[in-house]
Amino acid sequence: MTLTKSIHTQLQPFMQSRQNFYKILYSLFLDPTNEEILFEIGTLVNFGELEEFHEGGGILACFFAQLTTENYRLEIEEYHRLFVGPGYLAAPPWESFYRSKDHLLFDDCMLQIRDQYHQFGLKFIKENNEPDDHLLLELEFMIHLSDLCLQPSETDEILELISSQIHLHQEHLSIWIPNFCDRVIDHTKSQLYIGAAMLLKDFINYDLASLLEIREALANV
Amino acid sequence: MSENNHLKNLLNNKMQRRTFLKWSGAIGIPVIAGGIGTKMLVDHKEETKKAVAKDNEKIISTCSINNCGGRCVIKAHVKDGVVVRVSTDTQPGGDLSTPPLRACVRGRNYRSLLYHPDRLKFPMKRIGKRGEGKFERISWDEAIETIASKVKRIGDKYGPESRYVNYASGQSWGLHGGKSAARKLLALTGGYLNARNDYSSGAGNVATPYTYGTNNSGSSFDSLLHSKLIILWGQNPSEMIFSTPYREYLMQAKKNGTKIIVIDPRYTDTAIAFADEWIPILPTTDTALMDAMGYVIVTEKLHDQAFLDKYCIGFDGDHMPDGVAKEESLQNYLLGEKDGVPKTPEWAEQICGVSAAKIREIAREYANTKPAALIQGWAAQRQAYGEQFMRGGAQLACLTGNVGKLGGWAAGTGYWSRSDIVYPFSVENPVKASIPCFLWTTAVEKGTEMTATDGLVGTDKLTTNIKAIFNMAGNMLINQHADINKTRKLLEDESKVEFIVVSDLFMTPSAKYADILLPGTTFFERYDIGVPWCFGDYVVFGDKTIDPLYECRDEYDVFAEIAGKLGVKEKFTEGRSTLDLVKESVERTKKELDPNFPTFEEFRKQGVHHFKYDEPLVGFKDQIDDLEKNPFETPSGKIELFSKALWDMNQHEEIPAIAKYISSWEGPEDPLINEFPLQLISWHYKRRCHSTYDNQEWLEEAAKQEMWLNPNDADKRGIKNGDRVQVFNERGSLLIDVKVTPRITPGVAGIPQGAWYTPDKNGLDQRGSVNVLTSQRPTALAKANPQLTNLVEVKKA
Ligand code: SF4
Repeated sequence: MTLTKSIHTQLQPFMQSRQNFYKILYSLFLDPTNEEILFEIGTLVNFGELEEFHEGGGILACFFAQLTTENYRLEIEEYHRLFVGPGYLAAPPWESFYRSKDHLLFDDCMLQIRDQYHQFGLKFIKENNEPDDHLLLELEFMIHLSDLCLQPSETDEILELISSQIHLHQEHLSIWIPNFCDRVIDHTKSQLYIGAAMLLKDFINYDLASLLEIREALANV
Repeated sequence: MSENNHLKNLLNNKMQRRTFLKWSGAIGIPVIAGGIGTKMLVDHKEETKKAVAKDNEKIISTCSINNCGGRCVIKAHVKDGVVVRVSTDTQPGGDLSTPPLRACVRGRNYRSLLYHPDRLKFPMKRIGKRGEGKFERISWDEAIETIASKVKRIGDKYGPESRYVNYASGQSWGLHGGKSAARKLLALTGGYLNARNDYSSGAGNVATPYTYGTNNSGSSFDSLLHSKLIILWGQNPSEMIFSTPYREYLMQAKKNGTKIIVIDPRYTDTAIAFADEWIPILPTTDTALMDAMGYVIVTEKLHDQAFLDKYCIGFDGDHMPDGVAKEESLQNYLLGEKDGVPKTPEWAEQICGVSAAKIREIAREYANTKPAALIQGWAAQRQAYGEQFMRGGAQLACLTGNVGKLGGWAAGTGYWSRSDIVYPFSVENPVKASIPCFLWTTAVEKGTEMTATDGLVGTDKLTTNIKAIFNMAGNMLINQHADINKTRKLLEDESKVEFIVVSDLFMTPSAKYADILLPGTTFFERYDIGVPWCFGDYVVFGDKTIDPLYECRDEYDVFAEIAGKLGVKEKFTEGRSTLDLVKESVERTKKELDPNFPTFEEFRKQGVHHFKYDEPLVGFKDQIDDLEKNPFETPSGKIELFSKALWDMNQHEEIPAIAKYISSWEGPEDPLINEFPLQLISWHYKRRCHSTYDNQEWLEEAAKQEMWLNPNDADKRGIKNGDRVQVFNERGSLLIDVKVTPRITPGVAGIPQGAWYTPDKNGLDQRGSVNVLTSQRPTALAKANPQLTNLVEVKKA
């Protein structure tokens, strides 16, 4: 019991940090319309500290340093051009688009991720009205799973939760998000979205690798 | 080191070194991230069990409601509320009384129409300059409120004639749709300016009735199994589906040994599939060929004199209408007795490019092979003098006595229909003023100056120009109307049309010109009944397979709500939903038209209903069997080869009383050809239905947008197959890849119509949208679209 507790406690900072990271990524890809979200991120998060070792971090640091009400408006436009429409979407933010044969939405992989939500007692509020595999939903789901890891639980449970997140990575996030990020980077000049895409792409990679290592270590506990 | 220590090390050392986490461990998190108010994943506890027990795949039968002549059975395989697959009619072929209604290449793409990432997903208002394509998302409440107040304000200020529902065909041949919904709303709130006719067979629709009294000059397709010869004149049913099973009958006729001739500037897919012979011809000169065939038939006495004497007005001097000189007869014209120009094959050869020997051969063959079906497509009537082509074909059918006979064909527009359903959603417009639909831009520019000569009817004068346009599921607002550059300028001027509402599935070129842009539904998301164009003995059930995606809505519901704002909702819906309309149509069809019609549930289950008949429908059989009892619907009661009504219009040069070849502006005899030496035509491409589906990538792979050019013309210009070229004339300029092919007549360039206008910064279209090159000059009589009459030059880009 003490051992379990200590594993949970030991993992806490790691889990908290990666959850924070997901939350930042989530916020960066939120629709900036009607919110002061970008200003808020700019105030709370110092991307400058990432500058040295991550190009995306550097780009974001630059962007937030120069954020004004005027270029805020341009970012809203850009966000809509890339991810919302109307019209041709330069970088559709849905998994199905990257994984279906004809670049369509509502494909098999969407039904699979819907299943995963259901298994965890969750459901997309607009199920069957909008696709369940939007970037933000999948990130929200990851945040949810990491949250569960933060609650005190048995090692077995923690192991299972980590496996679920690895599964989520291997069956979904890590398959399509890198392609999505490349597409964003190729299709925009926005510092915000280039930086965010670079950060997202690398963090996804890195997070999967970390989770695999942790699982291996835990399995041997 | 214990295993537990291993984890400790991993976390404390290796992990700690990960700067990423160190960084994120210490930062503040925006409230919004995963906050209560923004959570999109909500509790699903109660339903978890149910969700685990998976839905089985359900197959729901529906049909598309686009402006295709066909109507096919589309089967949606639905699982967990998602259309996972689409298939089509599986009924085996063979029984031609219940032909299978199988989807074409476009139909295989229908799932992508539904789930394309670029669908319009919510209502929007324009924020940039009109046409710039900048929009902002708004609520449905705001959209409805805005439309209601503009409808009222513009109506109050300018009068009902200022409000116009543009010709649009993205949803057609169903019970309801955006166009009818908008019209109904306007009709209930004072009215709107009417539009007549269409862009498909516009010249024919007006011309053919001068000959036959009606456009229903066709016969049912099974009648073709009795034909010995079929001439498809500018008709391409392999790509341009007139009715889903039509090709099946043509194939059967071919198997029966019927000879099939295709006359067309292009060696079409139809020619490949069906033709024993292809006769290439220059565009706009078809009537010259017809005249010469008439000349051969008459001079060689192959004509059916008894038929002409009994049923027709105007063939010879003895059968002219009162008050018209004998010299004006058709025979006189063909022989050149009045104008000094006998319409000999040699004369025609110079004009149309078909050799005199070939003209003699087909004239004799057509006259001697009984029964023979001369079937006219509509391409050759979308030309400057398209009316002449349409009446000219009918004239040949009469000369050879092929009218009203099984296996013959009366030519002309060629609609036929004997199977109908009830349409419960109807509109009564209190405004009587009406313009030809092709002249809507004129009515915007100078509606108040229009007169009867411009085709204005129902009033002497309009009280206003058009000020508000509803463009529902259509691309005629810019892409499919002639002369895009001219239309663009007109629409960009916000003082002319003050308010434009567009509803569509995608950001089409027309949608870009909206002030309020509404997201419409696909046929998967609505109830309807689909009928083919005016040909075919079947109707298809259009079931709703899933609820509308995103914030998309049926226009019927949207306009009902607008009607509510204006206090006429009850009159609008009469308490009915779209599903009620479908049910009512089925019930009333069974009661009022056909007791054998299935019930709603039966129809829904079968997905399709085939009307059964014991024998083919033969156009004008009743009239030919007993003219006394069943006169033609013309003023004289007979077939009017010579129309006194046309004669009395007194514009004999451009609107002759008998069908005549008229040398066309921008035809091969126009001196402008020295400057722009190629005749440009367009055709309905298999990858699109008009302009619908142009944004569907998979279809572009199936058939790419490219211009056909003959090797002779390409060589002269140093153009090679696959080169990118610029095509231009005084009206505009576009870029397109070229397919160099002997499948097109020398001197002619062909661009598939319907590509989405995609201008660069200088207005140079990048997609090959043919209407940057076409003209708004209407045809003489019908005031219809002449979009296949163009001269252009081509150079390497
Ligand atoms: S486009 Fe026409 S022929 Fe093709 S599947 Fe649709 S309705 Fe059928």
